[in-house]
Amino acid sequence: MSNTLRPYLAAVRSTLTAALTLEDFASQIVERHNKPEVEVGTSKEVLLNPLMISRNENEKVLIEPSINSIRLSIKIKQADEIERILCHKFTRFMMQRAENFVVLRRKPVKGYDISFLITNNHTNTMLKHKIVDFIIQFMEEVDKEISEMKLSLNARARVVAESYLLAFSS
Amino acid sequence: MDAFRKIDIDQYEEDVLLEEELYDADPRDPATVLTDTKSKVGAVRGSLSKGDIAGALNLVLDSPPYGPNVEEAKNLNLQTLVSILNSTKSTEIPAIVRALSPDAQDTLMKYLYKGMALPGWGDVSGSILLTWHEKLTEVAGTGCIVRVMTDRRTV
Amino acid sequence: MSQPEVYSLAQTPITSHAFNGDRSQVAVSLSSKDVQIFERQGHDWQPTETLSEHDKIITSIDWAPNTNRIVTSSQDRNAYVWQQTVDPQTGSTIWKPTLVLLRINRAATYVKWSPNEDKFAVASGARAIAICSFDPEGDWWVSRLLKKPIRSTVLSVDWHPNNVLLAAGSADMKARVFSAYIKDVDKRPAASVWGEKLPFNTICGEYSSPSGGWVHTVGFSPSGDILAFASHDSTINIVYPGGPAIYTIKSNTLPLVTLTWTTEETIVAAGHDCQPYVFSGNESGWQLAGTLDDTNAAKSSGGNRAGYGGASPVGRLNSAAFNTFRNADSRGMGSSPGQSAGSGESELFTVHQNTITSVRPYDGAPGAVSRVSTSGVDGKLVVWDVNSVSPVQTLTAKMGGLHLK
Repeated sequence: MSNTLRPYLAAVRSTLTAALTLEDFASQIVERHNKPEVEVGTSKEVLLNPLMISRNENEKVLIEPSINSIRLSIKIKQADEIERILCHKFTRFMMQRAENFVVLRRKPVKGYDISFLITNNHTNTMLKHKIVDFIIQFMEEVDKEISEMKLSLNARARVVAESYLLAFSS
Repeated sequence: MDAFRKIDIDQYEEDVLLEEELYDADPRDPATVLTDTKSKVGAVRGSLSKGDIAGALNLVLDSPPYGPNVEEAKNLNLQTLVSILNSTKSTEIPAIVRALSPDAQDTLMKYLYKGMALPGWGDVSGSILLTWHEKLTEVAGTGCIVRVMTDRRTV
Repeated sequence: MSQPEVYSLAQTPITSHAFNGDRSQVAVSLSSKDVQIFERQGHDWQPTETLSEHDKIITSIDWAPNTNRIVTSSQDRNAYVWQQTVDPQTGSTIWKPTLVLLRINRAATYVKWSPNEDKFAVASGARAIAICSFDPEGDWWVSRLLKKPIRSTVLSVDWHPNNVLLAAGSADMKARVFSAYIKDVDKRPAASVWGEKLPFNTICGEYSSPSGGWVHTVGFSPSGDILAFASHDSTINIVYPGGPAIYTIKSNTLPLVTLTWTTEETIVAAGHDCQPYVFSGNESGWQLAGTLDDTNAAKSSGGNRAGYGGASPVGRLNSAAFNTFRNADSRGMGSSPGQSAGSGESELFTVHQNTITSVRPYDGAPGAVSRVSTSGVDGKLVVWDVNSVSPVQTLTAKMGGLHLK
């Protein structure tokens, strides 16, 4: 792992651990409701300061904590047009299947590529440190995955170009 | 849709807690805060030229500007702090953060997050802030990060 | 050093637990609408009865040891008092619920019997605390509301030993001490450090959390002269109202959500860090004395704790998410939702594997508690000996795991 990625992930890990201190909290606005306060945003006092962790302008994580839920949004590195397309397709694919990933949000927060919504129900049914591990591994892998896809895309393009041009070489 | 449907009726609720009621305001008025912060810049430069990084840090982290209407002072203080962080060798960081008082550690953590929220602003460098963040978390733990989240007196 | 007694009652979170007077039975809420009563059989707890009346998740249970009554509160805005009566038809003993007229319109969050067991307090999300007392004429429980100046959901309450004063911690970042004096129930209380004349809803003290966290838990010391509260900014605060001093201990770890006094000079508190901590001190100062969970003893190869950059192996991600995508990408295969993220990366070396939500005295008189019980989100009920305090692992040892990558 590269040298700057490690402190970046360590910072995300510690911030996420600090933010995942959730409890059951029934809405104080609507009776008999219980919803993620970070999404509702009506009770100021149960929302905490959002924190941002950034490696540079193109790679950052926003963590918005509240009393019973947190929202974590990731901006994935996109160096060029191909990476931008791949990243878009990749996150779109996942978000369309958000229910399979439990903590994934169907729509990213504005300005980010992918968002997770973790509520107290998730921390109740899953071990908290495993959720943290999952997010960190996701971040580790997503860059790798996209550059790998870019490589194989380029390789495929090369093969296609070669066989196309071969027709003219004889 | 009719305009009246979009009225935020909750704002007329008497009991609703407002943003500014969540913390005690800074007793100093904005102009004093700005002069205070400006005067610190010189003192910090003095300490830095003597190589006294811990002293400079303590100066910056002592009674930092917070709350509304002091944007200029806030930015100035952040700039001063970033200049200290940038001029510190990474091997010296652990000793320096360990020597800080718990309150100063909390304030430093607030500034680290503020700096990270403004990538590319001034001479803010992501990697330097991340190094400091890592070392500070080692010393002050996750409790320090929790306090950054809870404390409404944002710097 | 005695080992803690660990009972795994369920796989689901235990939102609240309360023992009866002789500790032979325990009522727990397993994050559901029902109260489950367990009875001790040998070294095990067997489920016996289920009390169902609420229609939303139960938030808190309290069992009055002498009068043997259970009070429960729930997010359905109601509270019930349960009393053992003989069923006229079958002749068997059953728990009979009595509805309490709470007059609150949001979730009830916390409930606690007063020391004399003739009143109880129900905290709520309606920015109010209902003080309930029994009305023999109507044969029901009636309530009076403590409202001002609470600005947000009340998260916990605790009674002063004089049966009149009530401490409350709420999400508006304040801990307050109120008078809950009810004319027909209480005798005029003796003057204390909290004040002399105490009509209903007198505010005897208001304390802010130092860095603006929700006050999760409050507790009067056994004598009632000291108040402790823990808030979400990872601090625990000890208030001496007489000598105007507040001691704040800033913790390096995650917030504490529950506390109980064991003696006049020690507090056991627990929370998101999954282990009960012991704090001790007196008028001249307070400090963290140690933890009841000796993480070095039974469990091997300590050092690395989750949350401190625990070593997760670098390598291919085996999660369902990536497999799904990879299969779809390279082989055009549909999704097969599977197991969650890879196994065995990091493990907690504490007895509780998740947040501890409740700590209560288990054994000993108030002021000389020898054992405490805890329950948590991991479905475990643990009984700890409060005297087997081990030093908290120093942070540097904990951080050892950070440098593995």
